Amino acid sequence: MNTIKKAVERPGPTMADTDIMCEFLSEMRPALHNLRDWAYPDQINHALYSAYMKQSHDVGGEPDAPGIFEEKEEEQWELNSFVDCEVLGWRGIWTSEERRRIGNVDIGRTMYYGLPYYGRWLWSIVRILMEKQYITLGELVERVHSVQERAAGRTTQSPLEAQPKSTGNEKTVVRNRHHKEAIGKGDPQCFKGMAGKARFSVGDKVRVRKLPTIIYSRTQEYLRGAPGTITRVTYESPAPEDEAFNREDEKPEWFYIVRFKMADLWKSYAGPPQDTLQSEIVERWLEPLSA
Amino acid sequence: MTKDAPMVEEITDFEVLEIALRELAIEKGLFTAEDHRRYTEFAEGMGPTPASRFVAKAWTDPAFKKRALEDPIAASLEVGIDWLNPTGFGTPSDFTALHVLEDRPTLHHVVTCTLCSCYPRPILGNSPEWYRTPNYRRRIVRTPRQVLAEFGLFLSPEVEIRVEDSNSKHRFLVLPVRPAGTEGWSEEQLAAIVTRDCMIGVALPKPGVTTNVARTVHPAAEPLEGHSAGK
Repeated sequence: MNTIKKAVERPGPTMADTDIMCEFLSEMRPALHNLRDWAYPDQINHALYSAYMKQSHDVGGEPDAPGIFEEKEEEQWELNSFVDCEVLGWRGIWTSEERRRIGNVDIGRTMYYGLPYYGRWLWSIVRILMEKQYITLGELVERVHSVQERAAGRTTQSPLEAQPKSTGNEKTVVRNRHHKEAIGKGDPQCFKGMAGKARFSVGDKVRVRKLPTIIYSRTQEYLRGAPGTITRVTYESPAPEDEAFNREDEKPEWFYIVRFKMADLWKSYAGPPQDTLQSEIVERWLEPLSA
Repeated sequence: MTKDAPMVEEITDFEVLEIALRELAIEKGLFTAEDHRRYTEFAEGMGPTPASRFVAKAWTDPAFKKRALEDPIAASLEVGIDWLNPTGFGTPSDFTALHVLEDRPTLHHVVTCTLCSCYPRPILGNSPEWYRTPNYRRRIVRTPRQVLAEFGLFLSPEVEIRVEDSNSKHRFLVLPVRPAGTEGWSEEQLAAIVTRDCMIGVALPKPGVTTNVARTVHPAAEPLEGHSAGK
């Protein structure tokens, strides 16, 4: 199906290609388990709506059978994709939080689970370069097509090389402030002093707020509503909800490491009562725990 | 499934897409080929060795241990890691905030990132494949004792397990308890038993054990030169 060599030698769909495509696509159909796969407004209650809104990256606590923990060799393109993403951050095209939002959530469940880990990193570059209008879709489609032609007949033993046709003018490119302002300081150190007074102190009892899930957050659903204790006031930084959308105009907030008792997170927790879990929560997601 | 997924020997769609995007990014002036080369060199230099030294040093030098717990970013310089590298503000995805989780005989830490794969790359190298899987991320926060047992680590009920779900800008490194039987060892000898898995918290250091538990390795079609899994 995805042998580029064949696609180039024999352009256009053939009956066989089409059959194979359909077979894969049918396997990827979302399993809604409804006979009718179109919904009427009166059929979506809050629980079902929440299930649709749940973010694909937020998997903590979901039921699963034991898997096999494997190591993996890295492909050359995986390292290249990782480096592309990091260099785009280095040069102020995005922050890594924009990458996480695009590659881990916006991508949708089928591709989230179906693509390799670095396949999602790579896909997030496509989206960001399009969304921020650095390239046009026409340019991308033509370039991918021409690289496919260059790839025809090659195997993994004779890999492709990037051959840019020119070198662009770096000075005219629109970039974020962050990649300059953080130099010599680091991130989150570059936001120090910008959040005002921290609302909570070490030892404070707090509860994770039960805010609605809309598009993106890094406050895990399994923590929402749980009581915990502040164990560390960590740093000031833009909330992920802002950083993921490049909202450099928004005010940074304090972050806290919060400790939870496992027994407060999972009703079914069968381990000893002293077991705990910690996570780092942005101030907007915390409220004082009333006595 | 009606058929096995295809085994890939040709140049893959991912490779084609990566090349196309990199060419366009360079042509548009977003970054240069030299930027890409420099960052690749930096990435290829990352690995768990500095973190092993960091732990061994904390075991042998109480003053360093104090610095390691209070300001781990500064203490990393003593094992050759400047977290501001290679950009001047750190690696874009790892940030410059490290927190060392000190184990005690009655407290064991284990690290995960349920949302993606946050990991202290600059000092510990790239994360292992299993750490990134939904399976590990789903289960370690809910049934940590069972999952650790699958890694061969059985902890007694007297030990508190503390799972660290690394979801924001801090990165976490476990400082295990120095094992018995290592009295009088040099920093170098000690560093050899501090494996990557010990610093994630899915293994404990043991005299004589200098590698991660052997696991199956998924091979690459076009592996990086000089790289193999688990390093």
